[in-house]
Amino acid sequence: MVSVLLIVFLLQLAIHLVNTFGAQAVNELLWNLYTKLPTPQSKDADESSRLRKEVARLHREMKSISAQDDFAKWARVRREHDKAKDKYDKQSASLTSFRTTFDRLITAARWLGTQGLQFFCNFYYSKQAMFWLPQGWVPYHVEWVLSFPKAQMGAVSINIWSMACASVIALASEGIRASLTLKDGRVREGSNKGEKIKMEALGAGGGEKEL
Amino acid sequence: MADSEMEASLKPIIDQKSLKWIFVGGKGGVGKTTTSCSLAVQMAKARKSVLLISTDPAHNLSDAFGMKFGKDARPVVGVEGLSAMEIDPNGSITDLINAGGDDAQEAMQGLGGVGSMFQDMAFSIPGVDEAMSFAEVLKQVKGMEYEVIIFDTAPTGHTLRFLQFPTVLEKALDKLSQLSKQFGGMINNLVSARGGLPNGQSFDDVLKKMEDLQATIGDVNKQFKNADLTTFIPVMIPEFLSLYETERMIQELGNYEIDTHAIVVNQLLFPKKDNPCEQCNARRKMQKKYLEQIDDLYGEDFNVVKMPLLVNEVRGVDSISTFSEMLVKPYDAPQ
Repeated sequence: MVSVLLIVFLLQLAIHLVNTFGAQAVNELLWNLYTKLPTPQSKDADESSRLRKEVARLHREMKSISAQDDFAKWARVRREHDKAKDKYDKQSASLTSFRTTFDRLITAARWLGTQGLQFFCNFYYSKQAMFWLPQGWVPYHVEWVLSFPKAQMGAVSINIWSMACASVIALASEGIRASLTLKDGRVREGSNKGEKIKMEALGAGGGEKEL
Repeated sequence: MADSEMEASLKPIIDQKSLKWIFVGGKGGVGKTTTSCSLAVQMAKARKSVLLISTDPAHNLSDAFGMKFGKDARPVVGVEGLSAMEIDPNGSITDLINAGGDDAQEAMQGLGGVGSMFQDMAFSIPGVDEAMSFAEVLKQVKGMEYEVIIFDTAPTGHTLRFLQFPTVLEKALDKLSQLSKQFGGMINNLVSARGGLPNGQSFDDVLKKMEDLQATIGDVNKQFKNADLTTFIPVMIPEFLSLYETERMIQELGNYEIDTHAIVVNQLLFPKKDNPCEQCNARRKMQKKYLEQIDDLYGEDFNVVKMPLLVNEVRGVDSISTFSEMLVKPYDAPQ
């Protein structure tokens, strides 16, 4: 029998990974699958991508004609392009709103799945002690919190354990991300994205100044 | 030939008896006022009474005809059947308040900072100053009998912005009536403590006035979208920027469903073959290039009128009358 501790830890890890990496990708994948099925939205999605290609083609054509030299031709292409763009905007507006609802549903389902699993685990193992604390390590009230809600006094309940796992995993993931960024040498997020990280060498004099 | 159906003159416009509103517009000193004045002169020959209105705050009707015009229509000296009017959009709202009398002035001052805030807000709604000037125009014009009204518009191109006003006003009125239901009692108390709104009107009266204004503008909107009643004449010069702007304006007019089927191309050079002036020849070459593009793009659907650049300024009734002949009879260049 696999240890409960391990199960909980792996579950938290899985949840964290899904939420960090999987979210967008899962949404995209499910959306693609959905549009492949014979639903009304799939036709709209096809139509939308067709119109978008058309707009892009007309835009390229417009760019290739010099407005100064061939104004008449340029103006005609621009009229076509504007008309196509209007059509595309109108058509995609309805599709986009559906896509938003779809994404929201999938996210909700994902949450339910992960949280639901977590909830189920917590419930199933609610009375079981994860591990026992040596007597006298922590004061009585802390013991009470640690065993909240249903585990015995002096033990750590599953809820607390899973929270601890989640925090550690989050910290570890932050640390990994930070070290990857350091290795990369470039800033990842924020207003100065892409810049080199400013690192000053700690010389002997600098070391003394620090103190 | 592309031009075979569409005459290169404004005669069809003058022959179109049902026309009531003519807008003359265009950006960049292309000769709007000259064209609108010339068109007005020609129209006056073919109609009983014509009104020429300038909504440009930088008025130049007075310059063009050599006499002073104002907020009230004045007959033009030397042209029978033509009257002209110059309206300042910015003045309209101030005038409205001034017209309310001393009470209005006091009320505005009493409201203090809030009053001026309302004024600023009123100006910032898109098209409201144009709408106000337009309402002013309608007021003036409803009483008088004119067969055709010609608008010399401001070069900023905001002329048509006031057409959006009815939609904005509807939303504003909805919001206002919501607010008035919630806060009406309180505002009424506040206002009556100050001695009432200008002219002792109640909040409802003001609302009603705005609704009336909206109804009038809505009705005018309908008239503008009727191709038999309204047309827009863009004026341009054969240069890239003017052409670009005109194309953009024509597309915008299409979106607003306002008819346009005539274009005036101004300031054309016709240098003689043995002309030594480098600049003239170079410019003529450039103009020819753009004229070809204009004919290609607009020749089939528009009356493209080509007006020459004259040696003298087109100012004064006589000069304008001479120039206006070329609007209806295509100009023969002495080559």
